[in-house]
Parts: sequence; C-alpha cells; structure tokens
Amino acid sequence: MNDLILTADRIGAEYLRDESRSTGTAQFAVFAKSCEDVRTALRFAEENDLPVTIQGGRTGLAGAAVPDGGLILTLSGMDRLTGMAYENGKYILFAEPGVVLLELRKQISTRKIDTSGWSEESRQVFSRFFTDKEQFFPTDPTETSATLGGMTACNASGARSFRYGAMRGHVGGLKMILADGRTVKIRRGECFAKGLSACLPCEDGSSVEFKLPSYKMPDVKNASGYYSAPDMDLIDLLIGSDGTLGVITELQLILEPLPEAIWGASFLFEKEKNALTFVNLVRSEKSVVSLEYFDAGALEILREQKAAGSAFASLPEVPECIQSIVYAELHCTDEETALERLLLLGGLAEKAGGSEKDTWVARNTGDLDGLMFFRHAVPESTNMKIDALRKKEPSLTKMGSDMSVPDDKLFEVMDLYRNGIEKLGLRSAIWGHIGNNHLHVNLLPSSAEDAARVKEMFLSWAAKVTQMGGAVSAEHGVGKLKASFLEIMYGPEHIEEMRAVKRAFDPAWRLGNGNLFSKEGGVK
Amino acid sequence: MKIIVCVKQVPSSNEVRLDPVRKTIIRDSSEAVINPFDVTAAEAAVQIREKLGGTVTALSMGIPASERLLRDEIARGADNAVLLTDRAFAGADTLATSYTLSKAIEDLGGADLILCGKMATDGDTAQIGPELASWLNLPCVTDVSALLEVTEKQIICRRNTDAGAETVNVSLPAVLTIVKNLTTPRLPSIEGIRRSLKADLKILDAKGLGADPARIGLDGSPTQVIRTFPQQEKGEAVPFEKSEAASEVKKLWEEL
Repeated sequence: MNDLILTADRIGAEYLRDESRSTGTAQFAVFAKSCEDVRTALRFAEENDLPVTIQGGRTGLAGAAVPDGGLILTLSGMDRLTGMAYENGKYILFAEPGVVLLELRKQISTRKIDTSGWSEESRQVFSRFFTDKEQFFPTDPTETSATLGGMTACNASGARSFRYGAMRGHVGGLKMILADGRTVKIRRGECFAKGLSACLPCEDGSSVEFKLPSYKMPDVKNASGYYSAPDMDLIDLLIGSDGTLGVITELQLILEPLPEAIWGASFLFEKEKNALTFVNLVRSEKSVVSLEYFDAGALEILREQKAAGSAFASLPEVPECIQSIVYAELHCTDEETALERLLLLGGLAEKAGGSEKDTWVARNTGDLDGLMFFRHAVPESTNMKIDALRKKEPSLTKMGSDMSVPDDKLFEVMDLYRNGIEKLGLRSAIWGHIGNNHLHVNLLPSSAEDAARVKEMFLSWAAKVTQMGGAVSAEHGVGKLKASFLEIMYGPEHIEEMRAVKRAFDPAWRLGNGNLFSKEGGVK
Repeated sequence: MKIIVCVKQVPSSNEVRLDPVRKTIIRDSSEAVINPFDVTAAEAAVQIREKLGGTVTALSMGIPASERLLRDEIARGADNAVLLTDRAFAGADTLATSYTLSKAIEDLGGADLILCGKMATDGDTAQIGPELASWLNLPCVTDVSALLEVTEKQIICRRNTDAGAETVNVSLPAVLTIVKNLTTPRLPSIEGIRRSLKADLKILDAKGLGADPARIGLDGSPTQVIRTFPQQEKGEAVPFEKSEAASEVKKLWEEL
C-alpha cells in the first residue's frame, strides 16, 4: 500500500471528531501535502469503494469533518501561501486550503510571508504589498484555528460578516479536485449559470452539467444547503458545498485595506429588551461592522469561570444587575469620525434604556484584544461546562442553534427561544451575531433524555424560523448534525434537487457522506 | 489624597518592519498608546481615589499629540492632566526627563502619592520612578505588585525582588513604581470619553516650568542614543527529507 495511506491503527482519535463533539469512524487516512496526494487518496478511495471525508482544522460545529467510515482526507498539511496578484485595486492572496486563519492574519499583518517558490510576478506584487497600506482578510469566525478550506466549504462568517458579508464574498477564485480526479479551476465573474442550467468546465476539456435547485434562498444570513439563484456565478455553488462536491486545493482570497480607526464598544444593559431595542436602532449605522450579543445565561457562566480562577480571571467584572451585553465594532476612515460615531451610539444606548456609563470602549489594539478575549471567553467557558457534563454523560454533544431571521423578527424569535428554554427548564447561554438576528442558543443538557428534548425543540424552531423567512443554519453549515433541519427548511423536493447536483459532480457519492443530506431519499 | 500618575506615550508594538530596499524601519503601522505599565499605575491611582477621595492627575512629557492619550487617561478615571511639551525637552534621557517631571510636580504643589509604571515598553530602563523620588527627596518603592493597605498617611505594599517578594511599609508622600499585573485596568466608558473631551488640560513649556535649561532635553542628558537598529535574525531553519538528512547535514557542516 502507498506510504501515504495510513491504516486505522495509525489514525489519532482527534481525527475522528470535530468541535461539534460528535465522533465517527474511519478505516484509512491521508495527510495530503499536495494536489497529487489528494488525487492519490481519491484514486485509492475509488479502487476500494470508500467514502471520503475531507478535513481541515476540524473546528466545525456541524460535524461535516467527522468521518462516516472510509477514508479521511486531511488537508491541514497543505498550508502554504503560494502567490499574490493585484487586480482592480485589491490584493489577491493565493492560499492552500490548510492555511490556518490565525496564521493567515499574522502573515498579512506582519507581512512576513515565505515567498520561496513564488512566481516573479507574485514577488513583484508582494514588494508593493510590503510597503503599501496595511491589509486584512475580513472573514473572522471566532475559532481562529479554522482552516481556509474549511471556512470556504461551510461559507464561514463571523462577527464582521454583519458588514463585510460571509466568506463567499472574499473568495475570488478556487481550484477544486473532483472525486474522479478532474480539476475545476474557477474565478469569480467568469462562469455563470443560464437561468438554472449550469455547465462547469474542467481543466481536461470535459465539463459538469447540472440543473441548480429551484428554491429561493431566504434573504438572511444563510449557510444552509447549496447556494442557488438564476444566472448565478458558479463559484458560489462550490463555496458552502460542505465537502460534498469536490476537494478545494487552492483559494484566491480578496484582501481589503485595513481601516485607519478600528474601535470596539460593549454596551451593558439591565434588561434584554433594551439590548434588542438598541440593536434595532444601531443596525443601519454604516460604521458598525459587527454587532454581537451575550445574554444573562452566558454572563453567569462567565462569572462562574472567572470566580473559579481559570484563564478568564483577568476579564472585566460584569455587575450582577447586567443581563445583556451588546458589542459593536466600528471601522472608520479616521479617529475623528470614529469618535463622532461612537458618541452617536452612546446616545442610542441611552435612548434604548441603557447608560453611557455602562459601556466599555476600546480605542487601541491592546484594549480591543481585551474585548475580543471577552467575546471568545463566552463560548469557551460554555464549552468547558459542556465538557464537564460530558465526563458524566459521554454521549452528550454541544447543543447550539445557528438560525437567523429577518430584521423585523428579532423580538419574535427571542420570544420563541425564551419560551422554549423555559419549558425545558435547562440551563442555557445565548450569544452570537445579533446584527444579523443570528443567535446561537446553547443548552446544557445533563442526560441523554434532556439532549433528545433539546433536539426536538431545535427541530420545532427550525420550522418556525423557516416560517419567519429565516435560515436553519446561518454560518456553521449543515454538516451531518443539521441535515434534518435542512429538510425542514427546503422540503423533500428541493433536497432531491440538491442530490441531483451532488450526483452530477460525484456520481459514486464518494465525498462528504452524510453531509447536507443522505444518499437516498429520507432524512438521515 | 492628591495623586499624580506619570504616563508616557509608547509605540503599541515592538514589532518592526524593515523596508527591503532602503533597510529603514517602516513606522506606519505602529500606533501610539500609553505605556501599559503606566495604565496599570493610573488604574491603581483611580482605585485609591475611589476609596479615599481626592484627585488623580495624569502627567506626561511628550509631543503635543500626547494630549490625545492624556485625555484617554481622563476617560479612564483621572480627574485632570498636565502635558509638558517643548522642543527644548527633546532628546531627554531618563535623568533630564525625571528632572522635568519633578519640576512639574513642584509646580502642581507636590502630591501625597506619585505613581509610575515600573518601566516603559520602549526604553525598558525602569529609572524614572527612582530618579523622580531622588529629585523630590521622597521615599521610593519599586516593582510594587500589590497594595495591601492604603491610608492617607502610609501604604503597605508588596514588591517583587530578585529573590521573591517583600512587604514594605512606606510613609507618604512617596513614589511607587507599579508592575503590570497589579490590577486589571478598566476600559473607558462613553461617559468618560465625553468628560475627557471637555476637561481642561494644562499644557506647560520649559519656561512655564521654570526649569534649568542645562538640566532639560539633550543638554541635560548625560546619556545619548547614537544609533538604533533592529536585531538581525541569525537563525535559519533548513527543512529536508529524512532520506536526504545525512548528505544535507554534511553539506551544511562544510558551509559553516
């Protein structure tokens, strides 16, 4: 057997699970370092009729990278930045899929990039980039150990997606190897569907022909199922396809100039409804690039972890009377504008029933890091609680929702969540991207029975959120864990249309088994 | 209690980038911030005032643009601020700087307590606090890591030493230098920022201070920086495959 193919006994347990805390099984694994390795892995899978699960940083929360038997294809070793271009006033960075977000940010901000092996043209662009205004990559999922390939596969977003949009808008091109070894190379603006009919050319001169699903996607933040719209750019189908259509082996990332003034401010409220009112007042403010939320349950868990003297001991004290925090990040052309916009937000907080006294403002990098640490500490501290529960009941997984609704449904969806949580009587923590009405409702079940009740409640929420014009998965992707929600959102006919797309790319149903939908009809 | 906190503007990062062609330092991305040790000292001052009453004055010697950072200290809780700015102060070493600061403190009528950060992140000298105490003829406790008891008359504090820590009882007035983890500094509120925008900020030049021209700026500095340059990176990692290891190592050995 090829040295590249590792057998089950040599696969570390960590490759059988992801951040969703669900686990799978695998017979083989390939740690690819090149496109040739990817092709070797796919050939081996074909010869042995094995399903293939593609992995990046395994930081996904929907189980897309959890293997369902067969072969694991890990791309974390394909971690080089391979070139740079300058087009239409923007820098385009070429990256392999295994590049970790944290490393990407570091290399962009310090401009310490290994350019060995780059073309002369790329090196010339890099010289310009080196002395030019500082750039950044806007997509900012909370988990910075995510890989760019994974982020593209699930169309990741993050706090700043409120203003900058999700990953999709920042990928200018990509290379994908299909299950049969053919290569698709696509750049934004070069290959469109005709109505819903699509034909995607491969490098060998052949093509993949298919019909796009006929559903109308909700007009909200959405990472649920295949992207589909009449006359769409076909690159948008490949982004967010959850590892089901092909293996992404190269990305072209569009960088943006870093704004002169990046400020953050947390607004503390004694009542949740005041926080929601504030969000509705603020969301049209153009300088605000993110609007994040932390509810009373999340703050209580944070207080407990802080008191326990954990890594969070240095977090600022949140007074007991505070029930909600809204964090806003401002990007402005200069500090004068930032100050003007900040004071405007202060006035809106007072109007919503808050106080300018109850705010934390960060106007330099160090202070911003402090507020970021707070933001990251919220999910981390809840995960620590879940891990503690898992010690007693190993079958438990992270139970968090990822749904979004239109702006005018914010109060309604919060009522839905609150009523559901109250009925279950379980501990909860709500946080997330409230600017997009996209909240993660996390429940802390202590038994398998509780977990089943939570899942049932999430299914009922999926139906209600769909009725509100929302999406069942706004950013995590559907993966395996939310496949049943996708069926609720789109219905069996549209799921069948998605299956037809999948079959056109991957007739043997080799890739991403169990992601989005099952092979045959019926929900997995 | 009347408290004066000495603060200094420093670059936010120690990361430097060299222009690949000119081989000069590119300074564009380095924002100015208050020395983090001083921010902690200022927070300690505000906490003492919240307990005992009084005033906190932030004092800095720097370029006119430092006014922005002094207003930031007011937003974080200081009552007022004084900026010492004059071309004549330029090129000052720690001796000239501490002399200038001491003149300002005298001008302000002295203080019950003077707090400084242990050191600044750009110079790393840790000399200002002790020198200031010397000019003002006050006791000085350096490297203070905890304030155990603070009254109008005295402070009992813990300080870091090379051997560990010691508890010190110091009578006021005194100068204390504060380590960064003594407390977690608060962030300013929007209310504080509004207050800072309206606050009167006193600006003094060399003449206004009545400073001896021979003791300030470059003329008053027995030490001078001749040249600054980033440390050259010496190490280099050379990756090679296991099968080639022996021959590659041999090649490297020969090159060295």
